[in-house]
Amino acid sequence: MTKAERREQQERQRAAKAEKAAQNSGKNPPKSANKPSQSSGAGAPALTRRGSRAADFPPKGAQGQSKDAKAGADDKGAHTRGLRIFSHFGLPKPTSHKGEIHPAIVRLGLQFSEFKITGANARCIATLTAFKTVIQDYVTPPNNTLSRHLMTYLSPQISYLVAARPMSVTMGNAIRQLKLDISGTDIDLPEQDAKDALCEKIDTYIRDRIIAADQVIEETAGNKIKDGDAILTYARSSVVEKVLLAAHADGRQFTVTVVDSRPMLEGKKLLQVLSSAGIQCTYLLLPAVGSVITETSMVLVGAHSLHSNGAVFSRAGTALVAMMAKQHSVPVVVCCETYKFSETVQLDSFTRNELAPVELFKSFPQNRPQDLSSLNDQPNLQILNPLYDLTPPSSITAVVTEVGVIPPSSISSIPLALGRTML
Amino acid sequence: MPVAHSPIQALKSSSAVPTTILEDPSGSLSQQGFDVYASYQRILENEEIATPLAAILALTELIEHSKAGTMFELVKELHEAAEILKKRTTNPISLNAGTELFIAFVTLFPHESDNFADLKTKLVKQGQDYAAEALTFRGKISELALDFIKDDSILTHSYSRVVMQTLLRAHKQKRISVYVTEARPRGLGVKTYEALTAAGIPCTMVLDSAVAYVMDMVDFILVGSEAVVESGGLINAVGSNQIAIIAKAAKKPFYALAESYKFHRLFPLSQYDLPTHNDDILSFPRHAQRLSPVLTARPSVAPSPLAMTPEQILRNPRVDYTMPDLISLVFSDVGILTPEGVSQYLVGMFAG
Repeated sequence: MTKAERREQQERQRAAKAEKAAQNSGKNPPKSANKPSQSSGAGAPALTRRGSRAADFPPKGAQGQSKDAKAGADDKGAHTRGLRIFSHFGLPKPTSHKGEIHPAIVRLGLQFSEFKITGANARCIATLTAFKTVIQDYVTPPNNTLSRHLMTYLSPQISYLVAARPMSVTMGNAIRQLKLDISGTDIDLPEQDAKDALCEKIDTYIRDRIIAADQVIEETAGNKIKDGDAILTYARSSVVEKVLLAAHADGRQFTVTVVDSRPMLEGKKLLQVLSSAGIQCTYLLLPAVGSVITETSMVLVGAHSLHSNGAVFSRAGTALVAMMAKQHSVPVVVCCETYKFSETVQLDSFTRNELAPVELFKSFPQNRPQDLSSLNDQPNLQILNPLYDLTPPSSITAVVTEVGVIPPSSISSIPLALGRTML
Repeated sequence: MPVAHSPIQALKSSSAVPTTILEDPSGSLSQQGFDVYASYQRILENEEIATPLAAILALTELIEHSKAGTMFELVKELHEAAEILKKRTTNPISLNAGTELFIAFVTLFPHESDNFADLKTKLVKQGQDYAAEALTFRGKISELALDFIKDDSILTHSYSRVVMQTLLRAHKQKRISVYVTEARPRGLGVKTYEALTAAGIPCTMVLDSAVAYVMDMVDFILVGSEAVVESGGLINAVGSNQIAIIAKAAKKPFYALAESYKFHRLFPLSQYDLPTHNDDILSFPRHAQRLSPVLTARPSVAPSPLAMTPEQILRNPRVDYTMPDLISLVFSDVGILTPEGVSQYLVGMFAG
């Protein structure tokens, strides 16, 4: 960074702080860092996203906008100190109460933000189940119809969940389907019947798209496991766990290497389940993966979401394992239900990601808490724990879905073939 | 590798052990005395008909003879027949492609007829029409491939009807010369060599082990296929994979020709994930066998003991799997596809 650039940035930071002080802080939730600012939109002529952001600053800020706009935009909030370009990953936000929030949602929000419920499938099922309670407790106000009003009632509940932890792609897909079902509800249907019908639709969604899909994947992926295979998996995926358990119950002889990584160390749980089921397991941390990859016959991982270009968004570290496997011609098989498909294209894990809260996942050994506190206070130290990373399609051999085993390049032809109604 | 009706093959299938062992299940399962395998074998005698088509026609005949009264029963019978065919052939990959295609077609066929007998005749007619149409596929493919052939030297592997037709078609307009591999152990390259030489195309036999030597002299590689799988990869006579790897290293295009009925919903992760793979393939002989006279006899007698024994050959694979990233293009009657295009086509066809 040159001197001029540094000065420019400092000025912009000052400007941002001044702007923040001027505005009512409650009005401007942290998320707006990613959105065009509403206040500037009116006056500025035909602005791009970056442009509109820059327009908030004194004229000088506009000069270096293309390079530093992002950094400048993200400097608000003292607690994000040091995270700069990573703050758009979505740090836990102070939960704002807009409208009334259903107790089931409050509880779920807490479970999400404290990482008591993690994993794309578990979060989706928990959300849908909570919504069932919400829908049952909902009463349509007079002079309103359920199909029109219920969604306005659900919206703040959804925002509450999103504030607790950024929404997963699976939740997004399920909620989109739910919205479609709600708007399609017959106006003439008695209220209780309509609510029951919606709950039934939610149940069907969970059963068809998640539970049944998992069973099919279990069988298909299980068939790829041969006697004497050494399977390597990373972190913990509920589907992979089911596949391995089913293959073991089927009488196949294989060993599993669980590769794990800080800060979440989810693999420990998988290790516990697998070894208590009687599967031969090895446990190691990510840096050691190079030493065992040559002994591996297949890498089996789960996914958070799957994108149109065939890229897999999964727990941070998966990309590393997949690339390592690719390098050694070990097949990389991703287990993923079709409801995890996202229409978007993602090219890197920087544009969209999530940060693990530092308080929950300590970056340093927990038996030395004094280190953590002292490190936290270091002015020039930032602790950064992205939760996900993106595995490029080139390092994936196959994706096992409930419609069959497909190469990542053909992902985009599936939703169409499924006759998906949502877009 | 299009199934070969060479004497070797005929010999093998007639003496194949499974035929006798599996006599019983086929006898009890076959539909009202209709022997689907016999029908399949009879159809295969026609030199022009490939395995998947023969399977489709055999299943069509089964529908003709079937007494099934409902769709469910019929589909069940078809599945059983497909299972019988699969068990009785040594290499069921391309056969499966045919039976799968036909059963998918039958299940998706609109049930508009008033009575079931009508529907059955319709299905039979559709099956026969398809088979008749399918015979024109090779012509289509050879026309498509023509644009990619200049006055070139071409390397081909083993014997393939669609490659033969393409080469003969190209010979009419262009000056091509062909290198053909011997394709051990079945030696089908000899058949290609004889046919091409008879047609006046300059042709040379290449040892399977000399492929790397010849690679710099050829402009591209043209192979047929047993099946094209969902990954976009290729299952073909053993040796295709190494040719593809060498072609990739020498940066020569590797073209595969495949009729669309050879597209198969299968996703092998490796050579050992193929349905044809079993534990016997390339297994190490037992200790006792190693002491057998082969070793001692070697130095004493003439050159013949230096050849592999029939048992050793039997322990070798007959087909191998070529990864999609080694294949430049797949020519089929539905168009010229990249390997990704093949998998998209397959996913679109079956995943719906």
